[in-house]
Amino acid sequence: MAARILIDRFSFRYGPDLPSALAEVSLDIAPGSCCGILGPTGAGKTTLLHALVGILGRHHPDSIHAGTIRVGERTFAPLPDEILFPKVGLVLQDPFVQLSGVRDTVSDEVLFTLENLGIASEVAQSRVAALLRELGIDHLASRQPSTLSGGETQRLALATMLIAAPEVLLLDEPTSALDTSAVERLRQIIESLHSRTTVIITDTQIDFSLPLADQIVVLDAGNLRFDGKPSDFTSRMNEFGDVLPVRGWREALDRLAESSAMQSHAADLLGKALGKT
Amino acid sequence: MRLDISSKLALVLLLWVCAFTLEWFVSVPLLVVAAAARYLVPAFRPQSHRANRAFNKFLLYSVAILVLLTALNALLMPGGDILFTLAGLKFHHDGLMFGIRTAARLLLLSVSILIFFISTPLPDFIRFLQQKGLPSQLILILLLTLHFLDQLPERINRVFVAQEARGAPVRAGVFSRAKSLVSILSPLVLSSIVESIDRGTALEVRGFLVRPEASLVRVQARQKLNPVSLTLLLLTLGVLFLFLLRWLLAF
Amino acid sequence: MLNSVRGRIANEMTGAALPFVAFCIALNLTVGQVTAALKIPLYLDSIGTVLVAVLVGPWSAVIAGSFANLLAAAFGNPSMMFFIPVVVVIGAFTGYLARAGWFRRWYLVALGGILQGILAAIVSAPISAYLFGGVMMTGTDFLVLYFRSVGNTLLNSVFYQGLTSDPVDKLITYLLVFFITRSLPRRLLSRLRGASNLKETPSRHAP
Repeated sequence: MAARILIDRFSFRYGPDLPSALAEVSLDIAPGSCCGILGPTGAGKTTLLHALVGILGRHHPDSIHAGTIRVGERTFAPLPDEILFPKVGLVLQDPFVQLSGVRDTVSDEVLFTLENLGIASEVAQSRVAALLRELGIDHLASRQPSTLSGGETQRLALATMLIAAPEVLLLDEPTSALDTSAVERLRQIIESLHSRTTVIITDTQIDFSLPLADQIVVLDAGNLRFDGKPSDFTSRMNEFGDVLPVRGWREALDRLAESSAMQSHAADLLGKALGKT
Repeated sequence: MRLDISSKLALVLLLWVCAFTLEWFVSVPLLVVAAAARYLVPAFRPQSHRANRAFNKFLLYSVAILVLLTALNALLMPGGDILFTLAGLKFHHDGLMFGIRTAARLLLLSVSILIFFISTPLPDFIRFLQQKGLPSQLILILLLTLHFLDQLPERINRVFVAQEARGAPVRAGVFSRAKSLVSILSPLVLSSIVESIDRGTALEVRGFLVRPEASLVRVQARQKLNPVSLTLLLLTLGVLFLFLLRWLLAF
Repeated sequence: MLNSVRGRIANEMTGAALPFVAFCIALNLTVGQVTAALKIPLYLDSIGTVLVAVLVGPWSAVIAGSFANLLAAAFGNPSMMFFIPVVVVIGAFTGYLARAGWFRRWYLVALGGILQGILAAIVSAPISAYLFGGVMMTGTDFLVLYFRSVGNTLLNSVFYQGLTSDPVDKLITYLLVFFITRSLPRRLLSRLRGASNLKETPSRHAP
């Protein structure tokens, strides 16, 4: 069951002498929806993800923070004092590091997550097999994780989180090391999670998240610059040229046009946007 | 006869106790039998070429150690009869016996460890430790070490080449080369810390460090010792008992 | 007491520490590749242990050193098992020196290295004498031979040989670790428990 995320005026500073990493950010992310958080490096995207999964406070005990974060039924003021896994799953930017390094096969690597949850491997085997099939990497089940390609590793990293059926799935710049076909495959997987899991994707580019997201957020130096629907974002896209690369916007809109849910909107927006250049 | 890891460890314990308590004329035949086990007992066959090479290297080492220990101590430890004189150097009985006893003990201790490790893949041994209750964090450290041991030689080489390309004096005088050590080790350690932070985060968000009691593999219920292990442990106790008895009687 | 030890280890071994300790153990076992490539006649096989002692803590260093020796034995050098008591002392002593702030100043580091070397010589002497008869199959055997030939006992000879090499080796190892840790960004180091050992203002550690 997907969880709602409600962030109310959340501020975070890594240390007393350091600038704000996040300044009074408020967000309401509906359960089962997909939210794309966009912004340049240093905007606070990863900080926000780490706050949501519950590691920010643990790793930075001297930090200064304020506000509240609510994940599902639980409210924290503001930082969770425990890691929220398996309720919240985080796929790190580097999928190779996400893997434990201590398991010899792909399916054992996924099993590792369930073992950490105390689930016996006999029960877990069938779950792992089903998930690997769903992600299209069942043919790699007995391969060594270190021999996988970037896209395969990304899907394995995703599997290590999805196996725990999280209510919220956080993806930190998931496409940074992927080629086009791997990106497309990842997009299909995330689309399939719609309404089952609340998904948050951070990115410095717009072309991956825009066609997928129900909600777009733009962060800039810890400040919230935009929070709204993709259609509103595309109509104002030029405003964010200083923090987001605009080179991907045509492709993003083309994809929007292909998506049945946004067809008429997209055609409209494409027309407007083309008229603006 | 089943020789699982428990049995092999029981054998190592027995050989260690023998090495410290028995006379050299018992230790030496035991040493020969233990070394021969590598060839005669399937359970002690090397699991890899590397293990096989390690054992062969050990055999050469044993010969060298035996010769050096006996010769040097016979020469340098006066006492007892002079056994013979060679080129003006006197070889003494007490020193020779000391050398033989020390060599027998050292080699018996070493061969017992070696035949255990050449015949037991490390991952199996680590899994065994885990089943016996070694904390999950320590198990993870051991497994990750094996992972890093695979990667580290190549990483070191890359850093070395990169530093050389930047003009680090890796082929100059000793002092300059010593300074290069810092320029090679620093980026290596830095990248390891960065990677460790990320890996540590990944482990945490996968629930590993949060619930260490739900360990990597659940500790198995206590199993009865197999007959081989039991026999070996009883033998060990027997040897110890005899040694203590002899020691007390000597008073 | 076992729970107290477990508690101390758990306190040191936070998330990032585990992979770092594993890396340092691997470093102990492979640093010979670096010194061989640079043709430097040093072992430095405790550099990983010292790094863990300074950046994580003494108990983690004891584990790192012990595991390194265990793995070295597993990889074909069984005599390394017998020197586990030595690495335990190196890890614990260095860790507590680091907590006392000795790794903030180079001259304290140098003094600490020499003291560590003397301690290592004291602990390893009985092992080398009793188990190995003073014969380690290295160049240092000639020194032992010399000391014995001038009338010293085996134990004293091994100890004197240790005194000539261990303090130098540990001094260099300590100084290397000092310079390496100085070059590391403080923000990264803050994720390791022992990083406060390097700060200018002392901070308390939880026991």
